[in-house]
Amino acid sequence: MRKILVVILFVLATAMPVFAIDGTKLLEQIDKNLSPESYESYRKIINIEPDGRKKEFTYYTVKKGRDKMAGLFIAPASEKGRSTLRLGDNMWLYIPNVGKPVRITSLQSVVGGVFNNADILALDYAVEYNVDMVEEKGKEYLLQLKAKTKTVAYDRLKMWVQKDKILPVKIECMTEAGMLIKTLYFKDIKDFGGGIVRPSVLETDSPLYKGYKSVMIFAKIKQRSFKDEAFTLTFMPKMESLR
Amino acid sequence: MFNVQRSTLKGFLLLCVSFLLFFTFNLLPFMFHLSFAEEYKFDVSETEKKPYHVGGYIEFYPVLFGLDKNAALYKLNFYNRSVGVTTELYNGNLQLEGSFEAGITRSYIKTYTSYINSYQGETTRTTVFEGNISVKPTHSFIAEAGKKTLNWGKGYAWNPAAFLDRPKDPNDPELSREGYIVGSIDYTKSFTGPLKTFTFTPVFMPVYSGVNDDFGEVGHLNFASKFYFLLYDTDIDLMFLTGGSNTTRYGFDFSRNFGSDFEMHGEFSLINGFTKNVVDRNGNTSQSTSTAIKYLIGLRYLTKQDTTFILEYYHNGTGYGPADMRDYFSFVDKGYAMYTSNGNTAMLNKAINLSQNTYGRMNPALNYLYIRISQKDPFDILYWTPAITLIGNTDDKSFSLMSELLYTGITNLELRLRGGPIIGTRGSEYGEKQNDYRIDFRMRYYF
Repeated sequence: MRKILVVILFVLATAMPVFAIDGTKLLEQIDKNLSPESYESYRKIINIEPDGRKKEFTYYTVKKGRDKMAGLFIAPASEKGRSTLRLGDNMWLYIPNVGKPVRITSLQSVVGGVFNNADILALDYAVEYNVDMVEEKGKEYLLQLKAKTKTVAYDRLKMWVQKDKILPVKIECMTEAGMLIKTLYFKDIKDFGGGIVRPSVLETDSPLYKGYKSVMIFAKIKQRSFKDEAFTLTFMPKMESLR
Repeated sequence: MFNVQRSTLKGFLLLCVSFLLFFTFNLLPFMFHLSFAEEYKFDVSETEKKPYHVGGYIEFYPVLFGLDKNAALYKLNFYNRSVGVTTELYNGNLQLEGSFEAGITRSYIKTYTSYINSYQGETTRTTVFEGNISVKPTHSFIAEAGKKTLNWGKGYAWNPAAFLDRPKDPNDPELSREGYIVGSIDYTKSFTGPLKTFTFTPVFMPVYSGVNDDFGEVGHLNFASKFYFLLYDTDIDLMFLTGGSNTTRYGFDFSRNFGSDFEMHGEFSLINGFTKNVVDRNGNTSQSTSTAIKYLIGLRYLTKQDTTFILEYYHNGTGYGPADMRDYFSFVDKGYAMYTSNGNTAMLNKAINLSQNTYGRMNPALNYLYIRISQKDPFDILYWTPAITLIGNTDDKSFSLMSELLYTGITNLELRLRGGPIIGTRGSEYGEKQNDYRIDFRMRYYF
């Protein structure tokens, strides 16, 4: 009996490292697969109403490091020239008519629709979240993430990740109490060149906006380096010069 | 106080509501792509950059004023006119913007053409709001020269530290304003650590005959500077202005996010040697010179239900207290009484002269409160934003209260309907304004 127990303990002890996935490393790998550390890209953001009517925005974005991100609206005409900046937890919006950057918060939305500023100016997940738990669910991992600080838009995330590509498939965004705020669906994996292979469509819906849907389509994602000064308030009115 | 000429008001409201309904229900299907099951498409040719840009907006902006015939400012503005209990104003505005970029150089122009048809007649005026050239040899260094708005300060409704800007209209704080001719440099440096960004902005502002001559005393080259720090996740600006056209002044502002839904900001300025002109109820004027302090404290808060609160308290140290305001209004009343008794306009003319840049300016009083509550997408209906805005004088408890409905569901078109009463007792700032209420409708198309 003792021998059997020793064998079972030995098997368990040697088997454990196989199942103990390092959640933090996995999350960092997901971030790495979603985008290079420093890059530029174009996005089309589409808000779709229950009857199919749409409102579209074309948005140029640049990112540097783990916590610097900026964007510029290039269409439609009513939004053209508006730029956004995120440095860690700080976010600003520059409206040409207003003429100066004003602080915005992550739960507001500069485009209306279901995406909020935190979705549009999303940083690496590993910057904002700790991994509470990783489970294996067939061909997917299920990561339970907890926000590192109170300033993060969603307190908890449930992230389903494709095991073979280490790319997210679906993310449920929740409040601290576990109430579902929205679901993000990552679709249409595409080769953007330069070794960047990632979902080209991000779709979202929300129980708070029944029947409404917002979509983000990515294009021309390209590794590119930027000076730190491109991510400053002074530079926001000049963002067009980066394109 | 509310003598509404019902037929005019009804007609105006009918016009505004008809526009809203017409655009919402008749033009919508034509302006949207009805493609529910369509695949998402992103034509990347849309992202091609051109060296030039031309754009702007055109707007139709009728306003209906309900007049308060007992108010001092009504008497001052209408003493020699015969109008009904309401008056209309029809605005048509065109803002044009153009830019051209070549290498490190960019030129930019913004013009504003305004057509106004009111009880005063028809006027059309085109103003160059901005026109400048900038050179950006590196991301850290930008030099600009020409006409531009600097927009200093963090306040939403007021900016006591915006030393080089024309005053904002708190009723419409996001409106474009005309700039001044300046030469400026922005030098920016980024860091790691608690201080993330530093920007130094020196500005030269000439004030001579024909150049910025409405800014202050002519014949001076003024110098101002702003030092910006992003320190411990807080925006901090220190600024000053000196040079002779206006007295030397110093300023400070800050803004910071606390959490994902709360922002706080403040602004402070100290004005050396400010001269205040005061009139008593008999029309005797006096001057006093002192150091004036202005400050503003404000916040924005977004609730889980997507309701945004903007709250600001503004102390305007160059303004007039309730007793001074009452004296001025009494003087106007006396002037009007004199005019109606013997046709003599001397006192009224003196009151009109005194109102220039003093009692008649946008915010002449000492302490103000601004509260704006807006609800994004109520009942889950996207693109409709109702809002309510209160601007009040905290000393005499008078205020204006505007309700607003904004619709932005049609690409490049913005429809806004606003209206509300202006309330206050006799002798109070808002109680003596020429209007009892105001209704306006703005239809703006961007191109």
